[in-house]
Order: sequence, then C-alpha cells, then structure tokens
Amino acid sequence: MSVLYVALPIAIALGGAALIACIRCIWGGQYDDLETPAIRMLIDDPQISRKKEL
Amino acid sequence: MKALVDQSGNAKQTNAVAHAEAIAEGKVEAIALSITLPCIHCGEPTECATDTKRTDVFCCSGCRGAYDLIHGWGLADFYALRDQMRRSGAAQPASTSPHYEQFDTSEFLGPSTPTQHGDGLCSTELALHGLHCAACAWLIEKVAANEPGLKLARVKMSDHTVQLIFDPQETKLSRIARLFDRLGYKLTPLDRSRDTHLQLENRRLLIQIAIAGFLAANAMWIAVALYAGDYSGLAPEFRYFLGLVGTALGTVAVIGPGRTFFVGALASLRTWTPHMDLPVALGLAAGMVVGAINAISGAGHTYFDTLATLVFLLRIGRWIQFRQQQRAARAVDLMLRITPRHAALIGDFGETSLVLVERLIPGNRIRVAAGESVPADGVVVAGATQLDRSLLTGESIPAEVVSGDAVAAGTVNLVASIDVQVSAVGRDSRIGQVMQAVEAAAIEKTPIVQFADRIGGIFVVVITLLAAATFAAWLPSGLSEATANATSLLIVACPCALAMATPLAISVALGRAAKANILIRDGHSLQQLASPGVIWFDKTGTLTAGRQAVSHLAGDVEGLRLAASIEHECQHPVASAILREAERRRMRLSSNGTLTQVQAGGVIGRVDEQFVVVGNATLIRSHGIELTKAMQTAMDEFVARGESPVLIAVNSQVTTLLGITDPIREGAEALIADLRKRGWQIGMLSGDHQAIAERVGNLLQIAPERCHGGLSPEEKLAAIRQSRVPGRAVVMIGDGANDAAALAAADVGVAVRGGAEVSLQAAPVFIGSGKLSSIVKLLQGAQRTTQLIYLSFAISLSYNVVSVVLAMCGWISPLVAAVLMPISSVSVLAVTFGFKSFEVESQV
Repeated sequence: MSVLYVALPIAIALGGAALIACIRCIWGGQYDDLETPAIRMLIDDPQISRKKEL
Repeated sequence: MKALVDQSGNAKQTNAVAHAEAIAEGKVEAIALSITLPCIHCGEPTECATDTKRTDVFCCSGCRGAYDLIHGWGLADFYALRDQMRRSGAAQPASTSPHYEQFDTSEFLGPSTPTQHGDGLCSTELALHGLHCAACAWLIEKVAANEPGLKLARVKMSDHTVQLIFDPQETKLSRIARLFDRLGYKLTPLDRSRDTHLQLENRRLLIQIAIAGFLAANAMWIAVALYAGDYSGLAPEFRYFLGLVGTALGTVAVIGPGRTFFVGALASLRTWTPHMDLPVALGLAAGMVVGAINAISGAGHTYFDTLATLVFLLRIGRWIQFRQQQRAARAVDLMLRITPRHAALIGDFGETSLVLVERLIPGNRIRVAAGESVPADGVVVAGATQLDRSLLTGESIPAEVVSGDAVAAGTVNLVASIDVQVSAVGRDSRIGQVMQAVEAAAIEKTPIVQFADRIGGIFVVVITLLAAATFAAWLPSGLSEATANATSLLIVACPCALAMATPLAISVALGRAAKANILIRDGHSLQQLASPGVIWFDKTGTLTAGRQAVSHLAGDVEGLRLAASIEHECQHPVASAILREAERRRMRLSSNGTLTQVQAGGVIGRVDEQFVVVGNATLIRSHGIELTKAMQTAMDEFVARGESPVLIAVNSQVTTLLGITDPIREGAEALIADLRKRGWQIGMLSGDHQAIAERVGNLLQIAPERCHGGLSPEEKLAAIRQSRVPGRAVVMIGDGANDAAALAAADVGVAVRGGAEVSLQAAPVFIGSGKLSSIVKLLQGAQRTTQLIYLSFAISLSYNVVSVVLAMCGWISPLVAAVLMPISSVSVLAVTFGFKSFEVESQV
C-alpha cells in the first residue's frame, strides 16, 4: 500500500498538467465565444470530390 | 407603351357590362388585408399578390440584389439553414452606401487596423451589424471562402464581430466591406476598450472555475478512498496521509478560488449590508479551520471534500451571474456603435479630413453630410437641414435646424450637409449620458437578488445562533463532539443552492426567451412583468397595421385603376393606399394619367380623355356630382364601420367607393381579451385623433376613458408617470423608434417594431417577431420564471433546514454532508432546466 505515497502525487501532478493545459486554452480565447462553435458543426463541409474536379 | 394602353382599353370594353351591374347594386367587396407574402430574403411583409411566384417576392430591390448574389455564389442552402433555425429573416441590405475607401485608412479603422503577418497575410477584427442567427454566420463564412484573397472569416455570434484574414496583394478591406454590404451586413471598426475588459474578466472567472473543479474532483476521489476505508479497513498511517492531502486540496480551494467570498463577506460586514457571501464565508472558514486542525491532529472529521465542491458550485453560479450582466453591457455596447465612429473635421482652409470621434475636442468644426448620423453634440454654424431625432426624443417628424441650433450626437441628418461646432463628445454627449444611465440600470440588481441577499443576512444570524446553541448543548458530552457538531452545522447550512438559484433561473429564462425571438435586456423586467399591473398600448403600428389600406370596395373596379393612374405621383397616405391596392390587383395603370388639381379633400385629374375626381363626399358634391342611392347607402355603411370613404367619380358620375382604414392587426383582439383575463389594466396612448383612438379602442373593447388620443410624446410620458401605482408595474408596448421616450419612462417598455439595436436602448424588452401573440408568451414566461425562483428558494431552504436539524442532533456525518450539499444544488439545477419558463415552440 505504500505505493500510495508515490501514486497519489503522480495522479495529482497529471491532473495539474491537464489543469494548466485548460488554463492555457482559456487564456488563448477558446472559451470566449460559446455560441458560434455549437452552430458551426451544423454546417456541412464542402464536398471534396467537387473541388478535385475544379 | 401603346400596346399597354390598348390592352387596358380592351379590358374596359369587355368588363363594361359587369361594371354597370356592380354600380347599380352598390356591391361591396371586402378585401382580405391580412394576406401578405413575406419577402423571400428578409421576411418583411411585401405588397406582392398571393399568387406571385415565390421566388419573385421581394420587399425591396436591395433584398433582390442580396438574393441574386447568394444564388450566384451557389449558396442557396442559406435559406434552408435559416428556416431550419426558425428565426426571422436575413438582414436587410443597407440603404445608404458608405464610403468604402475609408476601410483602407488606419485613421478610420483605429483599433481594427489590420496587422501584417510573416506570411504576407493581414488579420483584423471588425464589428458586424445585421447578424441574426446561425444562417448569417454560415453565409458570411461561406462567401468568404468564395472571395479571392479573403482567406478566412470567422464570425463570433456572441460579440457580433468577425475576424478576417486576407491577402493584401489580392484584395483590399474596402472590397470586403462592399461585399458584406451587398449581403446586408455592415462592417465597422471595433471600439476595443470595454470589450477587452469584459473578455479578460470572463477568462479570469473561467480559470477560477477550472481550478476549483480540479481541486473538487481530486478531493472527491480522496474522500471516496477514505469512506471506502471506513468499511473495508484502512491502515491509520494511510488514513492520516489521505486526510492531509485532501485537506490541503480543500484549503487551497477555499483560499484560492474561494477567496472572493471572503472578500464579499468582509465588504458586506464593513458596510453592514446583508449579503449572500456572509453565510457562505462563515461555513467555509469554520470548515477549513476545524478540518485542518482535525487533519493535523489525526482525530475527528475533515470536511475538505464538501468545501472543495461548495467552492466549485458557487464559482459556477458567480460566472452565470457575470454572463448575465455582460449581456446587459453588450446591449449598451451595441448602442455605442450607433453613433458614428468618425467625423469629417474641417481644417483651417475649409478642407475636410476624416478623424476618429475620440480625437475631436470641443470647439472643433465638423461637416455632417446628408444621410449621416451626427457624431457629436454641437451647434450648427453653417447650413440648414432636417434632423431625425427619434432616437433621442421619440419624435417621428423630422425637426428643422438652422444655423445656431443645437444638435445632438446620434441624430440623423436627412436633407443637406451642415457644419457643426463640437460641444461634447462621447460619454459627455447627451446620448452618452443616456447610455450611462442604461448601463447603471442594467448592472443594478433585480429585487429578487436583493431579496436573496436579505435572506443571506438573516441566514447568517440564525446559523450563528444555532451553531452556538448546538455547541452549548453538546458541551456536556465533550469538547471535540461539540466542535464537530457545530462545525458540520455551519458547513451544511452553507446556502450554496440559494446563492445559485436566482441568477441561474434568470439567465435560463433570458436564453429561452431569445430562442422565442423575445430579447430581454435584464432580469428586472421579468419580475415586474410577473404580476399584473397597467399596460399602455401605442395605437399606430402596434394595435393597427400602421398604414392606410383599402379595406372595402363598392362599385366599379375600373374606377380604382383610373384613380391610381392619376395619383401615382402623390405622397399622401390615401394615394399610397389606392396605389397599393391597384398593384395588389395587378392593374395596368394608364400612362396618360395627369394630375390637374390637388384640393383639400381630394385630387382631380385626367386619364385618356376621362375626367376623374377622387376625394371625399364634400369635394365630389362641390363639383356638382350626385351620388346614387346605392352609393349613399354603401357610404353610410362604411362610415358606420369607422372607415373613411373615398369616392371616385369618372366623367361626373360616381362609379366607385373605397373604404380606407388603418386595419387592426391580427391577434390584437385576442391579446386584449387575454390580458384582461390575466388581470391587467389596459389602456391606449395614441398620437392620432381622439375620435380614431376611441374607435379602435371600441373595436378592441378598451374602456373609452382609457383611450387617450392626440398625445404628443411628452404627454405620453406624463400619462405613464401619472398611472404609476406603488407595487404595480406600468408597461408600455409600442414602436421602438417613435415611442422611445414613453418606453423608457415605463417600468417595462416592450418594443414590437423597429430594429433590435435601436429598440433595446429605450425598451428593456424587444419582440423580434413583431407578433402580438408574443406578448402573452412574454407575460407567461415572466410569471413562470418568478414561480421558478421561489420554488428553487423553497427547495434549497428545505434542504438546509433538514441538514441543520440533523447536524444539531449530531446525526450528520461528513459523508452525509458531502452527499446532501451537492444534491441540493443539483436539484435546483434540475428544477431550473426542467421547469418550462418560456415555451419554445417545437418545429413542425
């Protein structure tokens, strides 16, 4: 069970890394607009085959 | 042209017999007025006949241009996507064309000046006007993909901005601006200062949520290990270690993301105003101190998991509240964009140069061209013109200004170019002051939030007393037992759900209302609309269609064609009504029509050698023309119905009788009946004649003593002020542009017409669909939202009562506390989202 003394700090450190990544995303502006991205996924991508013809 | 006349001549002959019969019988033909086809592009009602081909229905040539452009790009999916989102139509193309060349100068762009990147591309961000829904964003981004040189356009719906990346070698910003304008969207440079402030605050709050969430999640799994250890057995040294790590996480949560509650509590203590933060801070502090002592000593309960979860949930509530205020601030920001950002500064030698409005100082001279908005307050020094001041004063009629008169920023110069000496700019100008007032009102808390804070004040006193009582009662059975019970009471009594309930309910309601096309500026209005009070309606354009129309026709239809032929250049409302009716019937007007005389009460003209008189009965009689008996009866009928009769005499014989009226809008009657049933007092304030106001009131069954006609904007304002009764809300429903003053004076102004951006300045509520039925929806929604708030209060308070009783009896364990606290928040969340506050119609 003494593995706990190693495993627990590692787990928290991993979580901390994810937290730092999240904070970087927020500062980068990824969470500034919460409306448009939800709508953007409704928009179909242009058909690739048609582009190739051109 | 000859063919056209011939054709109409033929038609005349073939129909002559039928007409004669019609005249003899005095046959009255009722005309269905409500059927108008919506413009295929923007959805505005048009005057096209119902059998018009769907792809030919446009309200103006601008919309036709935008439609052709969209189809030309092969982007017809726009319309399908728009209809799928079930919102109002696309933006109407701007009528005035700005000087696009300005977009290539950095003076004009200010903070939006493009920045050059290493790969030769430029990027910039601009404010976007006319954005309605997802389909608009789609259209803009798709069009950008087709435009050579424009690499990327990314629309931000929430901010009404667009980010552009373009190649300066291939295209210019002015070209892009022109393209956007053709689609019906207008680009303007950004005003950066306040946007960035709000954006940074938003990011800061989100980061706090992320940190609190991380701490809460980790504290939770450590707590799970400890609780599991309680049952399966856990070596004491591991228990001690887990307890220490968990407590460390909880402590970080309280002094990190949870610090704001202590700051709030301290501030409320200093000013002696009750605040929700006070009991929250008390619970957090007690839990943290006792938990830390217990963790270090290795005996007793540690409360870290509950504390971390509490901070996380409270932080989310804080962010929701901030978003709601930001929405209000954004409405003000939109208003800021109405006043122009640039002015033509007159130099020493009479030349003009374009400068940003911020650079103007009092004393500067600026030139305002016709069709432009005045950028700053000032005094006219040269020129004379007419100004549209409806934005500020609610006057619908343009005001004459000459040299020496004062002009205000935000008013629109209609006729001729004027030179203005600047006296106040930006926030010092009149519109700037109005804006600041709106801003202050928006940030002001809704009474129900104040109510929650008051509860918070009582809460803290009651909880402290109860904790002291618990401590005293348990002291005989040991100090540690007494401390444990008192501390768990302080934690479980922490009013987390209570603090979240109101902001959550209001922001959910505002979001749902927006989906139903009702824009509400602040939560305050919702609460005032919840209980019945006094409702004042504007007449023209609100209860009625707002323009004259031919509602009935008796006699010969040919008369209408002749009348339209001589009146085609008249601007009079009756002439317009006749012309519209002729167009609706797809009549070919004779090109030979000439207007010979305009008299009081009518006009006289000639069409193809026929002598035509159009006017009221007095005018007709004064020309010695007699009315047939059938015509006289028909006319009496029209008058009895409240329509103004217009007679058409051809060659000294009355052939046609038109009933002209401003028709009552569809659903008005049902609305009034419904409102009365709900207990609202209904009245009407109209600028129109008293007699007409009473007639409309009579038709809609509004009591005659509550129908006020002939009112100036100031009198409307006074009437609204007078009708104020303590405890009852005064609601004004009217036109966003013309009734601005009255809308602003009422407790709640509801604008049903006019552009959203302009209306929201004066009125906290704007009904985008313009449908009267939405008013009922609004009132229902407001009522339900208030019920929901009280329900959430009741739920969270009962959780608190139950847990406090448990804690006082010593029955609560940290596990029970850890489960109870989130459950109370979760039930408030579930109730809020499950409760139907605003009904969003399901798509058929």
